[in-house]
Amino acid sequence: MSRRFEDPLNLTRRRFLGAAGLGIGAAALAELLQVDLLGQGPDGVSASATGGLPGLPHFAPKAKRVIYMFQSGAPSQLDLFDYKPQLARAQGTDLPESIRNGQRLTAMTAGQASFPIAQSIFKFAQHGQSGAWLSELLPYTAKVADDLCFIKSMHTEQINHDPAVTFAQTGFQLSGRPSLGAWVSYGLGTVNQDLPAFVVMITGNGQSLAERQWGTGFIPSRYQGVKLRSVGDPVLYVSDPAGFDKAQRERFISDLGKLNQLEFEATNNPEIATRIAQYEMAFRMQASVPELTDLSKEAEHTFELYGPDSRKPGTYAANCLLARRLAERGVRFIQLYHRAWDHHSGLPKAIRTACAQADQPSAALVQDLKERGLLDETLVIWAGEFGRTVYSQGKLTADDYGRDHHPRAFTIWMAGGGVKPGFTLGETDDYGYNITQDPVHIHDLNATILRCLGIDHRRLTYKNQGRQFRLTDTAGRVVQKALTFEAGSGA
Amino acid sequence: MSRFSGRLSSAGLAGWLSAFAMLCAILARVTQAASQGAPAPAPDSLPATIEFNRDIRPILSDKCFQCHGPASQMATLRLDLEDGAKHALSGGRFAVVPGDPAKSQMITRVAAVNPIVRMPRAQGGTAAGEPLTERQVALLTRWIEQGAKWQKHWSFIPPQRPDLPKGLKNAKWVRNPIDDFVLQRLEREGLTPSPEADRATLLRRVSLDLTGLPPAPGEVDAFLADKSPNAYEKIVDRLLRSPRYGERMAFPWLDAARYADSNGYQTDGERFMWRWRDWVIAAFNRNMPYDQFTIEQLAGDLLPNATLDQKIATGFNRNHRGNSEGGIVPEEYAAEYVVDRVDTTSTVFLGLTLGCARCHNHRFDPVTQKEFYQLFAYFNNVPEHGKFRRVGNSAPYIAAPLPDAQAKLEQLDEDLAAADAAYAKLQPDLARAQREWERSLDASAPVSWAPVRELVTLYSFDTDLTPQVAVLQDAKDSRARVNAPRGGKDAAGRTAPTLAPGRIGQAASFDGKSFIQFDGDIAGFDSYGSGRGALGANDPTVTFDDAYTMAAWIYPTAPSGAIVTRDEDVFEPNGHGLNLRDGRIEYDVVTKWVDEGIRLRTQKAIGLNQWHHVALTYDGSRWANGVKIYIDGEDQKLEIFVDDFNSQGAVRREPLRIGAGGGPENRFRGSIDDVRIYKRALSQAEAGMLADLTSVTAIAALPEDKRTPAQADKIRDYFLEHALPAPIAAARTRLTDARVKRDGFYQSLPTVMVMEDMPTPRETHLLVRGMYDKPGEIVTPALPAALASSPNTFPPNRLGLARWIVDPSNPLTARVTVNRFWQMYFGTGIVKTAEDFGSQGELPSHPELLDWLATEFVRTGWDVKALQKTIVMSATYRQASRLSPELQAKDPDNRLLARGPNVRLSADIVRDQALAIAGLLTEKIGGPSVKPYQPEGLWNEVGGGSAYVQDHGENLYRRSLYTFWRRSIPPPSMANFDASARENHMVRPVVTNTPLQALDLMNDVAYVEAARVFAQRIVKEGGKTPPERIGYAFRVATARRPKPAEAEILLNAFRQNEDRFTSKPEAALKYVSAGEYPRDNGVDVIELAAYTSVTSLILNLHETVMKE
Repeated sequence: MSRRFEDPLNLTRRRFLGAAGLGIGAAALAELLQVDLLGQGPDGVSASATGGLPGLPHFAPKAKRVIYMFQSGAPSQLDLFDYKPQLARAQGTDLPESIRNGQRLTAMTAGQASFPIAQSIFKFAQHGQSGAWLSELLPYTAKVADDLCFIKSMHTEQINHDPAVTFAQTGFQLSGRPSLGAWVSYGLGTVNQDLPAFVVMITGNGQSLAERQWGTGFIPSRYQGVKLRSVGDPVLYVSDPAGFDKAQRERFISDLGKLNQLEFEATNNPEIATRIAQYEMAFRMQASVPELTDLSKEAEHTFELYGPDSRKPGTYAANCLLARRLAERGVRFIQLYHRAWDHHSGLPKAIRTACAQADQPSAALVQDLKERGLLDETLVIWAGEFGRTVYSQGKLTADDYGRDHHPRAFTIWMAGGGVKPGFTLGETDDYGYNITQDPVHIHDLNATILRCLGIDHRRLTYKNQGRQFRLTDTAGRVVQKALTFEAGSGA
Repeated sequence: MSRFSGRLSSAGLAGWLSAFAMLCAILARVTQAASQGAPAPAPDSLPATIEFNRDIRPILSDKCFQCHGPASQMATLRLDLEDGAKHALSGGRFAVVPGDPAKSQMITRVAAVNPIVRMPRAQGGTAAGEPLTERQVALLTRWIEQGAKWQKHWSFIPPQRPDLPKGLKNAKWVRNPIDDFVLQRLEREGLTPSPEADRATLLRRVSLDLTGLPPAPGEVDAFLADKSPNAYEKIVDRLLRSPRYGERMAFPWLDAARYADSNGYQTDGERFMWRWRDWVIAAFNRNMPYDQFTIEQLAGDLLPNATLDQKIATGFNRNHRGNSEGGIVPEEYAAEYVVDRVDTTSTVFLGLTLGCARCHNHRFDPVTQKEFYQLFAYFNNVPEHGKFRRVGNSAPYIAAPLPDAQAKLEQLDEDLAAADAAYAKLQPDLARAQREWERSLDASAPVSWAPVRELVTLYSFDTDLTPQVAVLQDAKDSRARVNAPRGGKDAAGRTAPTLAPGRIGQAASFDGKSFIQFDGDIAGFDSYGSGRGALGANDPTVTFDDAYTMAAWIYPTAPSGAIVTRDEDVFEPNGHGLNLRDGRIEYDVVTKWVDEGIRLRTQKAIGLNQWHHVALTYDGSRWANGVKIYIDGEDQKLEIFVDDFNSQGAVRREPLRIGAGGGPENRFRGSIDDVRIYKRALSQAEAGMLADLTSVTAIAALPEDKRTPAQADKIRDYFLEHALPAPIAAARTRLTDARVKRDGFYQSLPTVMVMEDMPTPRETHLLVRGMYDKPGEIVTPALPAALASSPNTFPPNRLGLARWIVDPSNPLTARVTVNRFWQMYFGTGIVKTAEDFGSQGELPSHPELLDWLATEFVRTGWDVKALQKTIVMSATYRQASRLSPELQAKDPDNRLLARGPNVRLSADIVRDQALAIAGLLTEKIGGPSVKPYQPEGLWNEVGGGSAYVQDHGENLYRRSLYTFWRRSIPPPSMANFDASARENHMVRPVVTNTPLQALDLMNDVAYVEAARVFAQRIVKEGGKTPPERIGYAFRVATARRPKPAEAEILLNAFRQNEDRFTSKPEAALKYVSAGEYPRDNGVDVIELAAYTSVTSLILNLHETVMKE
């Protein structure tokens, strides 16, 4: 990873020495520092983190962080990844009942009299050494195909957006559970003291999202995703009021610290020390957030790599570039949402637009991370909440069709820390409707993400309402076949 | 991190503080860890007598019940019941042999060294799990030695009023029985209570606790000066009488009741539940007994002669989220709502987390899955639809007028009844007059007639294709024209319809390409708007919520085609459309093809090449059962395809088309005549009149008993409209006016969603694995056996359930309630897990105190204010909160209560207090929710729905419980300070400490403005000199005077900022211009800016955001 920041370990030691005179349970502290801060993780990765759980990571991590490019609205796997030339013969005919097999439909097509097969109108070709089939809509993704691990056999339990996004992100379809990013920052803590451990960025104007999808449910709210915004303050309230300058703020923080210190002497409440520290971090964020979002020092070829949109704040391309900058700064969990993929009707036109926004920047991020030596230690995920139906929703014409929600089979890709590059896992039937090989459930995906970070998904738990909860509920199996390493027994 | 901490270090203290902070944070974790799992003492420190509930059940529940408990009995072993544990296992072994640990498999297995033999296994698996601690094994062993006695779970045993402890050493400290119990425990632990807090601190504490607001400086002075022995009690009584008390108590209740101003889920549109919220405030202020408070919220509608207020109260169980997403299966979410009611009701009132029993028997508590669905059955009888409206309230809801409006409504109802009676009295005269008039008619001059009231358009086609009547939305609309090509073809190749012989006079004739399009906006009858008033208060638009009628004579020559539409002209259009489809009359009113709207068709088909009259009426209810189609005046049986209405999106305006709409393939072939649109639903009689062309004069010529009902109605209506004698006409006008007035007013009333029961109960099934589409056995309402005393005589409906919940025999309700109030004062409940009094919950720190409070609560008739008073009058509550090193070591979480509470203010109080300190707070109770400052664009970032339109003026300064709460994106300054998103019930708040809170308090315009207005205040009322004013500011915020060291820091800060702003006056002006509250021009800008920087510092103090 980037070495532009001082090794926090040294800092910790220095602070420890500086604090030794305080007389605060020094022995207990020494013991804790031993365990928590000086203690090396299996490969040393965890050593620099603060605030994680003791005993984590459980295994040597392959990835230090995650960039999750969530394609909200559910991209059509049939028009992007899951090539089905066999459909040409079936074009316009009704989906056989043997394939549909009584599957639950959304109320949107439940009333439809027929289910005409709609083959993708887009051309597919093989790319890279790995020969991955990709649609012509993804020319940039095609170029990095050999870095990607495609899973064509994803499935989920939810058939409507809100519950499905909530399910993918929290492991449960109703609100109230912690999100993936919250679990990770709760378990592993943070590396960068000046930025939140879990950052969320949103683009597009499709399906609505909700804060709960990056919330903490029943675990403490400090682990929640912090939105990095393109309108107004990048992080809420990070800018000082107009007319109040940096020097004044620095003095303000210092005065406040002194006053709070006096209060500590009067009450002995240890919470005051935390408050002082939080104001200091707030102050550091006030500097580090503008530095983070200031793209002026990015090279010209970087903008070219990510495409013209990357110069426009608030675009998916700009967010992909920001994701790389966050990764460089050690942010643990970077969650992008691009709301662009809910193509019930007029799919050919709409998906062209969505791909024009998403293809180049997504691929650029992979390439950029790789060139900077960050891909190996960063797990990148590109996924929506479910797939789309092989049959047309609404009228099927020669050049137009729509596709309804399809939870039974869809494609995602992953790249980087721990997953096999240039690899495709899973297959679907001739209709792209049912999985025929290596099914991967959302819980399996989440278990795998955690495993790449060195976490046993069964052992990262939080007790709530009398029960130990975990991200993967009572399920989840690590997808060994997609990994470059041995996940271990029972996982 | 280095750069800035380095700079801070140069500022002096900061580097040291950072180090200190980090150490403390770590220390806090150490202590937290310690308090979670007590260090294992040597076995010889085991209690002499093992008590099952205290010592054994927690071990079994945590380690064993998962597999050997209520839900699962592996190896036939069930350890939560005595029988289940003591019976013979396979191989003749016994898990528990009383008195003989050596023969007890339980001990053998938990103490085993071999991990293959040892219990417990890993969670849900067969791998070896974490072994029990030495102490746990020792406890189990001794318990078996002592006879292995079981107890019912403590909270399921009804509380008995305990005797007060005797022989306390420090008895003079005691002020009321709370203190007896607390002191007993402290003395047992070798601790002494803290001294009483100083008066200013105590006043601030109790003011924040009882009203959520700090004391005014004058109140502090008065209290400090009051030397009477009951000075404190007088304060408490005053605070309990304050209207702010009800607001304060309401906020945690809104959290518990998952109250919000939006529906949740994807679109998360607005709903209106504020009448329920205001009911809660009023109930607390009136000190409604808690049993009544409970009964009315759970079942107020079922009380005999339920009042409006009692019905409003039931909004409690309609506060859950409602899904309006396209494509959901309504039955799935209808089940979720009921689950939510069971879950919320059981957690809030019973302190039980029954949600687990939805899918399987509860793993830890003795509640079976069947019992869960028996509770479900109580709440499963609401006439609701699983798909909520995107915007607005979803059925069932009621008009909920405020008292003034209620009085006015009653008056209007009376006026209407009087007008009705007066008109009814004139009916014999009317009948006589009509007969006389009929006799006077000249049969040789036929009179045709059809209803004209609220007729907004009429095409007779007798002279041309233009409308004879066209009531325009905007009379100035220059686009109001018929868009039919005059002769020849238009650019699209369409020919104009031609005129042909009609049913009456002439008709328009269509060739399958031609159609008529009227681009003027006829009565706005086309809106896709999001509900009534989408275009403003006086919106004349006909929306999906308004009634209307479309009618025409048709002579089709082909079986399918559009008749009259305001549909998009595309295949599968959105909009309103009356079509002929395969000979049947089809009506679609669609907001989103294909799943949202109403789509239906007559069963009967009409014949081609003949005239038929068709009329469609829609009552504005958004339900298919509000639609009627008449063919030739006869009400038709309908086949319903979609009945799932949700308005959405912006207002769009499709033109009125005759013979078209729904795309080129949907053109009409044949003739259409006498097209009428009314802005109301015609009655069946009126539809009959349109279909029967007999002239009025011809009807008059028929004997009365030979007239069809349609004819009788027609002649009567004609008479009413044209020939009614003046006195009767006046009475009729009076009646019409009274009805219009009453209905108009009724429509303007706020509504609130409520609970109702359908007359015939819905069948409830156990849902296999909790799945809505896997119904199992049928169940009926019943109480959980483990909790209900038998025989139970409560009726099997919600009212019975509610009465049982507050019955003194109920072991939980009073305990759970007093515990939650206790938590409000001390930060932690006597039972820490306020949401879970079950087997996995924590044991009470002071069981006897809990039971004393619970029984006292019931004894006083569930008197909430009396309970609050008892708590805040106790010596326990009045202690200083300073944490001594001894207490830090022994009881960092203050569970033993050797000191007063020291907890951060909740999100709402952080903000309300700042408003109060600044002098900005608007003290107004109730009303619709308000939208104070919020960073721009927040709502748009995450999703659809409307933009956030910020309020102005006093609505910026209302208390936080009136802030508009949108679930998908709650108010950020509330969320930052750990407020509930209101997605689910929350009865135990979590308090965190984050940098986002610091940023919020420093930079949120609400707090910058508060600091500035606070500065204006201190300049005005805080004395003359900077030290005086700063001292005053400090005192307003903390109720105490600053110490010299504090005063010095603040004064230096003032001087330095003053210097800074003097050199940058334009910056000063910017700084004091934050917010919309007017700046006091009488105060120098530089001075005001410098004071603002200091008041901001004071608002950010740890002490300010704490209750100490």
